Amino acid sequence: MVRKSTVIAGLMLVIVFFWSTPFLWTLVASFRPDNSGGIHMASLLPDFVPTWANFAEAFESGDFAVYYVNTAIVAFGILAIQIVTISLAGYAFARLDFPGRDFIFYVFLLQLMLVPPILIVPNLRTVVDLGLYGSLLGVMLPYFASAFGTFLMRQTFRQIPRDFEEAAFIDGAKWWQVLWHVLLPMAKPGLIAFALVSLMAHWNEFLWPLMVLNEPSKQTLTIGLASFALGTEGGKEWGLLAAGTLLVMFPLLALFAVFQRQFVNSFMFSGLKG
Amino acid sequence: MRWISSLAAAAVALTASSAIAQTKIDFFFPVPVDGKLAKEMTRLTKLYNDSQKDVAVTGVYTGSYDETKLKAQAATAAGKPPAVVLMSANFVLDLKISGDIVSLEPQLKADGTTRTKFLDDFWPAVHANAIVDGELYAVPYQNSTPLLYYNKEHFKEAGLDPEKPPQTWAELVDAAKKLTKADRYGIALPEGYDYMGWIMEALSMSNGGRYFNEEYGGEVYYDTPSMLGAAQFVEDLVFKHKVMQQGVVEGGAVSSNFLAGKASMMLLSTGSLSFVRDSMKMPYGVAFVPRNVRNAVPIGGGSLVMFKGLSEEQKAAGWKFAKWLSSTENLGAWSRFTGYFSPRKSAYDTAEMKDFMAKNPDAKVALDQLPYAKPWFATYQTVAVRKALEDEMQAVLNGKKKAPQAVKDAQQAADALMKPYVEQTALKLP
Repeated sequence: MVRKSTVIAGLMLVIVFFWSTPFLWTLVASFRPDNSGGIHMASLLPDFVPTWANFAEAFESGDFAVYYVNTAIVAFGILAIQIVTISLAGYAFARLDFPGRDFIFYVFLLQLMLVPPILIVPNLRTVVDLGLYGSLLGVMLPYFASAFGTFLMRQTFRQIPRDFEEAAFIDGAKWWQVLWHVLLPMAKPGLIAFALVSLMAHWNEFLWPLMVLNEPSKQTLTIGLASFALGTEGGKEWGLLAAGTLLVMFPLLALFAVFQRQFVNSFMFSGLKG
Repeated sequence: MRWISSLAAAAVALTASSAIAQTKIDFFFPVPVDGKLAKEMTRLTKLYNDSQKDVAVTGVYTGSYDETKLKAQAATAAGKPPAVVLMSANFVLDLKISGDIVSLEPQLKADGTTRTKFLDDFWPAVHANAIVDGELYAVPYQNSTPLLYYNKEHFKEAGLDPEKPPQTWAELVDAAKKLTKADRYGIALPEGYDYMGWIMEALSMSNGGRYFNEEYGGEVYYDTPSMLGAAQFVEDLVFKHKVMQQGVVEGGAVSSNFLAGKASMMLLSTGSLSFVRDSMKMPYGVAFVPRNVRNAVPIGGGSLVMFKGLSEEQKAAGWKFAKWLSSTENLGAWSRFTGYFSPRKSAYDTAEMKDFMAKNPDAKVALDQLPYAKPWFATYQTVAVRKALEDEMQAVLNGKKKAPQAVKDAQQAADALMKPYVEQTALKLP
């Protein structure tokens, strides 16, 4: 007799293993000494003496210090502005009464249906007109407002019982004080969930930064990685590719490891007590 | 804050440039071989900027050829056209039809030269992809052809002469059969998008075909005996002779398999020569692409083009830079660094190049194949028309379709894609 929980745990382990194979392979391959794409390249087993050679080569192929700073400026810069805009917009759609509110909200949501590539040329034109072509601000600008974030915050605010705000209003608080002191602290789980999605998306974004940025000193991580990953006519240097990929994802991975509890909690305890 | 400071910087830059009349231009380049090339290209750009004061070039790495095209078109639409772009040589026709790139004839005229004189030093095989409607639109920069790579150790082991690589399709099949073992295939072809079309062009040309009409962008020859033979040959390698892996194998996997000894022969670009030379542990050889009817291979690689919407100063500056990049000396150095062959003949007369060829006899084979090279296919909607054939060939490789049906369907799809252009040109009658 095998206990049911053991079976479930076993099955979970199998699923976890399958889900993590790409990552495990990247990890193993990045430390594999022979990057000639030899017969063992596909193996998941670390049957070798680990080497930093691939990482050294990756660092040599790209200016990673610059890429990290630029990517951090873009991803966190976007997030900082987004938090302001989506909180205000979410509050307006959730709590304020104005004519055409629902209609405007649905029009807003329609943006989610647009495929980003069709906006490349119009957005680029705007960026050029504003004199921001080739700048990091130009990369960030189109994302300052977020339809998804606004939707998420509206839903989050609507779930918070009005009693809290009414109590604050009775005490003479203004709407922005209510938003800042009452609603935002309670909406933290929603904000954290959004932050995670937004950071991931902009950290990993490739096409739009490629369109806007020109100078090597302004490039972001994904473009740097692509410069040695996109070779089609040459052979694939898997070890180098794996090392470069790890370098790109490492900061996000570390961030997630540190804040793991908060992230998981944000999804699990988004309800209110009492 | 950041905005204000960048505005200030721009203002300073503007006044500075007007003071010494320096022309600022953008140069977009993809790196289809290796990341180290991006660094080398950046170094070259800096070298040029330091060598003179009139032009300041910003070298921009722009991903793959496809992304480079996308970025160059988007930037042009937004009013920031790049002065010089290193573009896949078979996008030139398409970009001319869509009106994105400009003729280089005015520049030739300003230099007091002609197209014929300018192209005189370039291998004849690269001319066709640089000229559209009788005008020069591109300067060939880095070029390649397919090449047969083979593992000499496997040849010996299978009782084949390692100094006598197969020259015909019959010899190729014969050798591949002897080379195939339980854990090894006799031959591998790159079958991902882009590469598949190029390899099919090589095979159909070796079979006497042309693939496309070099003079007119509205015709491809898919449903023809030469292409059918090539498609059937590929199908037979997998299903009849069983000497090639079933399913679609990408270029990167082909070279990995070859290096690992999992495939004894492969057709791959000469652009991979440096990589194979550096990475291959076992002795290998290179040879011409085997023929069925005649020796013929397509050209591949990239050319320098200029986009529309540039000021006269920028145009002149871009042309100056393009000429510098494609000088005998620079093309030779780039060829030795990358493994591409130099489109300029004179590059091979330099002492450095003679020295290099003596040390690397495999590069010599690639050069010897050049007289048999033909233009790279270029049509209206090149990429989509190419994919029409590639999708069908991939179905063949997966065992879902037979070659005769595949070439018929590919032709139909390609004709439908080119119809708008054909109706505006060849079928537009008085």
